[in-house]
Amino acid sequence: MGFPGLPGIPMKLGAAYRQDVKGGRTMRRFLVPQLLVGLIALLLCGSASAQTPLTWWEHSNPPHNEYSKQLVEEWNKAHSNTPIHYEFFAMTPYFKKLTAALSTRSAADMFTVIDTLLPSFTTKNVLGPIRPEWLGYKDLEDMKKAYLPGALDGYIDNGKLYAVPPIASVFSLYINKKHFQEADLDPDKDYPRTWEDIGTIGKKLVKMEGNRMVREGFDFAMHSSTWTMWYFNTLIRQFGGEVLDASGQNCTANSDAGVKAMKVRAMFVHDYKISDPTVSVGTNALPADDLPKGRVSMFITHAGSVAQFGPEVMKDMKVVPFPQVNPDKPVSPIYGFAIAMNPHLSEEKQKQVHEVMKFVLKDAKTWYERTAYPYPYKNFLDLPGMDEARRTNYLDVFIHDISIGRFIQRSPQIIEINEAIHRAMERVVLRNEDPKRSLDQACTEISRALAER
Amino acid sequence: MLLRYGGLLVTLLTILGIGVVLLPYFWMVSSSLKTGAEVFELPIRWIPQVLQWANYPNALSRGSFGIYFFNSAFVALAVMVGNVFFCSLAGYGLAKFRFPYRMLCFVLILSTLMLPLEIMLVPTYLVARELGLVNNYGGLIIPLLVDAFGIFLMRQYIKSLPDSLIEAARLDGCSEFGIFWRIILPNCKPALGALALLSFRDTWDQFLWPFIVASDDALKTFPLGLAQMEGIDSAAYHEIMAIAVMGMIPAALIFLFFQRAFVRGIALTGLKE
Amino acid sequence: MERNVAALGRQPATPDKFAFVGWLAAWVGGLSIWSRLRWAGFLFVLPALIHLATFKFYPMLEAFWLSFHRYDLMSPPVFNGLRNYQVLWENPLFHQSFWVSATYMFGVALPEWFLALGLALLLNRQIPGRSLIRLAYFFPIAMSQIVVAMVWKFMYHPHGLVNTILEFFWIGRINWLSTEETALPALIIIGIWRGIPLFAVLYLAGLQSIPKEYYEAAAIDGAGPLQRFLHITVPLLLPTILLVIVMSLLSAVKVFLNPLVMTEGGPNGTTRVLPYFIYETGFAYFRMGEAAAASMVLFAFVFVLTLINLRLLRRGGLE
Repeated sequence: MGFPGLPGIPMKLGAAYRQDVKGGRTMRRFLVPQLLVGLIALLLCGSASAQTPLTWWEHSNPPHNEYSKQLVEEWNKAHSNTPIHYEFFAMTPYFKKLTAALSTRSAADMFTVIDTLLPSFTTKNVLGPIRPEWLGYKDLEDMKKAYLPGALDGYIDNGKLYAVPPIASVFSLYINKKHFQEADLDPDKDYPRTWEDIGTIGKKLVKMEGNRMVREGFDFAMHSSTWTMWYFNTLIRQFGGEVLDASGQNCTANSDAGVKAMKVRAMFVHDYKISDPTVSVGTNALPADDLPKGRVSMFITHAGSVAQFGPEVMKDMKVVPFPQVNPDKPVSPIYGFAIAMNPHLSEEKQKQVHEVMKFVLKDAKTWYERTAYPYPYKNFLDLPGMDEARRTNYLDVFIHDISIGRFIQRSPQIIEINEAIHRAMERVVLRNEDPKRSLDQACTEISRALAER
Repeated sequence: MLLRYGGLLVTLLTILGIGVVLLPYFWMVSSSLKTGAEVFELPIRWIPQVLQWANYPNALSRGSFGIYFFNSAFVALAVMVGNVFFCSLAGYGLAKFRFPYRMLCFVLILSTLMLPLEIMLVPTYLVARELGLVNNYGGLIIPLLVDAFGIFLMRQYIKSLPDSLIEAARLDGCSEFGIFWRIILPNCKPALGALALLSFRDTWDQFLWPFIVASDDALKTFPLGLAQMEGIDSAAYHEIMAIAVMGMIPAALIFLFFQRAFVRGIALTGLKE
Repeated sequence: MERNVAALGRQPATPDKFAFVGWLAAWVGGLSIWSRLRWAGFLFVLPALIHLATFKFYPMLEAFWLSFHRYDLMSPPVFNGLRNYQVLWENPLFHQSFWVSATYMFGVALPEWFLALGLALLLNRQIPGRSLIRLAYFFPIAMSQIVVAMVWKFMYHPHGLVNTILEFFWIGRINWLSTEETALPALIIIGIWRGIPLFAVLYLAGLQSIPKEYYEAAAIDGAGPLQRFLHITVPLLLPTILLVIVMSLLSAVKVFLNPLVMTEGGPNGTTRVLPYFIYETGFAYFRMGEAAAASMVLFAFVFVLTLINLRLLRRGGLE
């Protein structure tokens, strides 16, 4: 941990305040001892290192952060003259902090980004291009070959790589084996392959008490516009369409494919009646929390949920591939977090960052073990010791889904697009509005957003 | 008849009110003693099967909470003291003196309350950076030392103090600052108490500004520590609730401390017109 | 006198400001008593003004300046005149946000004015266990705002506590956060729950400044409790009432954490208050100029509202 930076002037200013403030308030008597304790605490926190440390920022994700911290300690032991100063921040406001820091040129040297935001950052030149040569590859093509097909696409813009992923995440379908068995279904044979399958099977799994649905057959998460887009973008692709056209300037979400996609999204609520969307909106904490609590029998969530649920709960669960419209043309949603580099670094510092990246990324197996996210290496499954994971942790399913996976629509306005689609979805699912009308409105909003760029 | 039952009604309403007000708090405390799986169970179980006291030390080990609590306390106390002093100073000036553009000053000061922090975030951060106040205690404390709300509060309260008091002191040859220190302040105890309390609580609970201005773990405050216990796919809500319960204690302590400022009916003898 | 005033001058200031204030103090020291009084007043306010100028006025002016530019936070701002305002005017989502904010603001503030006063009057009485009751009522504001959001979101769950109580009274289940009509009222309730103790504290402080003797004299003269309230309490409490009215409106209009955490502005934008719109437009959509323009509109609205309040409650504020 580096020195928190106690500059002379502001502390002197602060002390000046306290000197001028004389007299009677009891609390003030404690100020001087407090100040002393504070100073001692600061000093005890660590001494300043000889060189300016290399800074690395991550978002909070407890198992991931623990491993990162461990890696940082290992590096600092081996490289005491180029130490890393690692910090992590609360997940949701992390990107606000990153944006504010990037805008004031005070961001860390290395920081995590999520793939969906990559175009937003690259179009504003706040990410430094990564050089595969410095990571040990011949060039970008060579590096792509070492990864699963398409796994790096989310981090490449205009032919340049801007971030390197230590994990790849994908959405798959989790089913509750116990519920299946109770309904006389065989979870290994009778699991749903298509969306229609989910509907029919869900009808056998849903439980009602009067007109209250105490157990949903199936549901989507509804708490975040990014999750909505992960579902919707994939559905519209399964129907052969896209959210934006090839130029990225026009909205095609209200095409036939889009309407069909929205209909699938809403059919479990209105037609099959195996979903209660008001409950999934209300799910506070982790979006996938209803599944381990037995409140829903089938749910789509990401690979990290295996670790989130824990081995106890996973005994009753089974993970199967993401549902399809057409099993011959499968598509699934993938996303990931990756390490990016500050563009305003000296060449020497950039080389250092690449060295750190190489070090951090070298052990795929440990990344997987510690974070439960698959690593997007091509030969990941063939690494020694993976058999156990393949058997118990559905690694095969995840790797399969990653190889048919596609990152969501690339656009610097992606968040606005997500929000517009999310509102359309809310209107259709919660209010039973006509999908075409809702998507038309979404497209109007999206076109306005695209026009303002 | 209303009078006779009025007292009873009042008592009943009070008890009902307390119940409603405290329900969320009960849920919070009971959640802090449950296992992770029990927290969001429905229907709600108020008393956990087994009281998980271990949640508290476990939660504290998730981050450097000792430092976070200290930082929050230190910063909140410093800001509280600063607020009390500067706001009462300015409030007195606005309340009892007639200088040119006095109303303009007041309205300008009030106007600083009208913009949400989000929009001023980047410019304020830049100012802080110019003054060397980034990533240190100065940055956490100094920008918060004066708050227009405090000035408004003190101005309104001091307005209700009788002018005769001040004039008498002036005739006695007391200096202006002396009047402020020796006459005004001691008579403002309720308002000072309210200001100190609210200022402490606001600063203790502040998230956005410390989040933006401090990057080092050693400078993080309590709300930051609380927020980062949530990860993308795992969050130990029972432990988060435990931390939250502990976070309420300083504010409650300050409240109890300043309660005596709210003693009813300060007899202002000697002030009768 | 000069020493005390000069002591005031020794405040957070760069060397030039210090010299100026010192000079000012010396000049004031030499003035006649009436002029000295006026300028002393100004000097009392000066430190606060300097601080606010640095940390508030300057950023506010910069936000105003930004509202006439295109700014995506990373590249330099580009002047584009009134375009941002025009875009906002044509954006139905902005209009929606404005009305959501106005509804929320008054929905929260109005009940607070009365309920907080009631609570303060209650807590002012000599009832047994007063300290503990006060502490109990104080809890909502002692709770961290993040925790409040988490707790209440869970309480509003369709199978959660609020619905359980409603079902007990045969009102039936309401899908609070997923129905467009009930989402904003749900947040308003939380706002009131949290605001009442806060403003009760302010009212309590104000109530202390009313000398007991007035009530006693009035009681001797035969005035009943209602008359004592109307003719003594209310007039003498006017400064505090003005404070509460203005502050309740100002703090309600800036609220944004609950909609962010609990409903993400939904469903269908019915809880997207203006600060949320501003945050989204600036930090998520990278259109800071537009966000600044939206804040200027918000500012203008609140500024006018505050001026109206100050005027109406003249006797408590302006003189």
